[in-house]
Amino acid sequence: MLKKRLVTLGSAALLALSSNVIAAKDPIKFGLTLDYTKAYVFATPSFGQAMEDYVKYINMKGGVDGHPIELLNSDHGNEPQRGIEAYERKKREGAIAFEHLSTPVSKAVLPKANKDKTVMFQMLTGRADAADGNVFPYIFPVSPTYWAMAANMIQYIADNAKDIKDTKVAFTYLDYPFGQEPIPIFKALSEKLGFKLKLFPIALPGTDQSGVWSSIRRFKPDHVISWSFAQLHNIAMTEMKRNRIPVDKYMSVVWMSKNDLKSMGYENAKGVKRVEGVVTGTDNALIQDILKTLYDAGKGSGPRENVGLLYYMAAFTEAVTVVEGMRLGLEKFGAPLTSEKLKKGLESLKGFDANGLMAPITITASDHQGGGKTRIAEWDGSKWVPKSEWQSAYSDLIWKVIKEHSAKYASDTK
Amino acid sequence: MFYRQAGIRHTSYEQTKSLYPIAFDKWLLIILLLIAVTAPYWMSGLYLNSYMLPWIIWSTAALSLNLLMGFAGQIHLGYGAVMAIGAYASVHAAQAGVPFEFALILGGVTAMLIGVGFGFTALRVKGLYLAISTLAVQYLVDWVVSHVPAIGGGTQATLQTPTPSILSFDITTEVGRYYIAFAWCVFVTIFLLNVKRTGLGRALIAVREKDYAASVIGVNSYHYKLVAFAVSSFFGGVTGAILAFTYFGAVTPEQYSIDVSIQILAMVVVGGLGSILGSFFGAGFILLAPIFLSNIVTGLAESYDFGVSRGVISHIPLILYGGLIMGFLLFEPLGLAKIYDNVRKYLLVWPFGFSRR
Repeated sequence: MLKKRLVTLGSAALLALSSNVIAAKDPIKFGLTLDYTKAYVFATPSFGQAMEDYVKYINMKGGVDGHPIELLNSDHGNEPQRGIEAYERKKREGAIAFEHLSTPVSKAVLPKANKDKTVMFQMLTGRADAADGNVFPYIFPVSPTYWAMAANMIQYIADNAKDIKDTKVAFTYLDYPFGQEPIPIFKALSEKLGFKLKLFPIALPGTDQSGVWSSIRRFKPDHVISWSFAQLHNIAMTEMKRNRIPVDKYMSVVWMSKNDLKSMGYENAKGVKRVEGVVTGTDNALIQDILKTLYDAGKGSGPRENVGLLYYMAAFTEAVTVVEGMRLGLEKFGAPLTSEKLKKGLESLKGFDANGLMAPITITASDHQGGGKTRIAEWDGSKWVPKSEWQSAYSDLIWKVIKEHSAKYASDTK
Repeated sequence: MFYRQAGIRHTSYEQTKSLYPIAFDKWLLIILLLIAVTAPYWMSGLYLNSYMLPWIIWSTAALSLNLLMGFAGQIHLGYGAVMAIGAYASVHAAQAGVPFEFALILGGVTAMLIGVGFGFTALRVKGLYLAISTLAVQYLVDWVVSHVPAIGGGTQATLQTPTPSILSFDITTEVGRYYIAFAWCVFVTIFLLNVKRTGLGRALIAVREKDYAASVIGVNSYHYKLVAFAVSSFFGGVTGAILAFTYFGAVTPEQYSIDVSIQILAMVVVGGLGSILGSFFGAGFILLAPIFLSNIVTGLAESYDFGVSRGVISHIPLILYGGLIMGFLLFEPLGLAKIYDNVRKYLLVWPFGFSRR
């Protein structure tokens, strides 16, 4: 702790000498409690690395309006009671905002954060209906909900089909809440557009999918939408090969990274598609700057290979968004930054695209999702190639579902 | 000096049968009770809500399972599911307008009925076979919760608990919720302390030691196993509901998953089978040790640069934790409570320990 603070102070002092940047003011504390040890291990190390990298970068540049950011980082092992402990502890240490990257922990902390008026981010995890800022004033998904992703995937299929009425879509998913979540959207859209939908649940833990894929083969789908993650995609695509279903019919939810394709061979995965909410790769100017200032100087927070991969980029984009929210909050309401001011700052984000890392988002007091724009990308054997523009489809339907759920939450907790 | 027995003379059977014949034990307990009762007034909110409250609730859960495992000798690998049944039943009841107290009891009764229903089928088998069939309870309940929207709450798989109320007074403060959990814990503890002294307790212990030997001396082992299942499931159900209402404020399937079942089982085993004190020790150890270890290691990592990634640092507490569990069980296979008992037995005759040899 002390050392970290000294480093921050030292670097800020150096900058102050060299370029007349204002000296360090009170730090802004951010609670980053992640699951380094259980269910989210496939994503967490890169996720934490990106957050640490960006915070280092910002602090080297003199912080947010002179305030350095301090990350209060710890492991909660995906256990709700440990998440609550970490939340309560860090709140008392002065954290004004939190990210947990775990659905069980987010769900357990959410009622407390909403009541304590502490800003909580939930990138791609937690309750999707938290996009409704009227019911969840302090919860910020600031990313497309799974519902929005589902609708956008169907939109892509509809855009590229000769006749959507003749299209057959198989939906295969891990048979627990994460996988079941988008089903109502698919069903509603299937009714509306007339494509044929069939559900193929995969029993947990998802390592045996052979039965599922032989029934998918008999269904002869034009597209297979998959709601699973990490190594499970490999198993799915191996089964696809075995059943002679071309892998380019496979379309994954956001949790599919380049690394996940490694063990099946990058060449073999050619043509596979995913929906994405953030840009991946290292072409972005900001990412180039991170590589130059941190990694070339040996100050990176983890392996250099992670930079540019999906999980890294998701966290990085979130960090950029959070810092922008902090900046706006400080600019409008002055120091010290509180949860209240950060919330207002975030809600004044307009057309913010995190230096080109994502589709522009606009957060308002009632919309904490920010537009829900995603795009489809295809793996060409070495990189992800965008196949569509950033778009958000059927927003009215998505918002209807969000409102239904948030209204239920509001009436239950009354 | 400690655990003084001088001057204690039993002049009636009542005295011999009393729970705490030694005054020192009684005073120790009274002091501990006072500490727990006054905790909200001197403990910071962090410690009360993040350590004390979950510790008390999980201890109650461990106690309830101990009745089944420690007293009646029936293993249960799906105790989290029993708690889930209680929690879901009572939250649904409370949302439908049933008063909180009755919702709790309703949760307990539902868990009891389903628990006994399983008991009927599961108790035709013994030992490891019973373990596997109780594991089935866990998976069945998990499946039902995530596939029946009317129970699990639909796509978000979360039910928010209404505000608990006692005698129509809403309990909105954290202190109030602590006392609810504490009162239930005290009730279960007193029940278990006394069970040992009743015919029921002796019958359960007879069944535990050898069920057909128990049958020979006229104890209907099947009947008593079912009773143990029923009572333990009732307590488990209410504890699950208390956990939801006072601690989490919501019910989700993950809060009662197989991991939780294994944790409660570990609390009972590490604490000491059949020991009431052990349930408290076990719950404290299994629940809080990971948190403390993680805080210590993270604190150290922040002060001294270990030169390894955070992912590696986060695994160090797990290694220590596993080592501690094995260490304690190697040191004293009968659990943490037995370690306390050894110390107590030593002090009982101290400083004249040689007289025993």
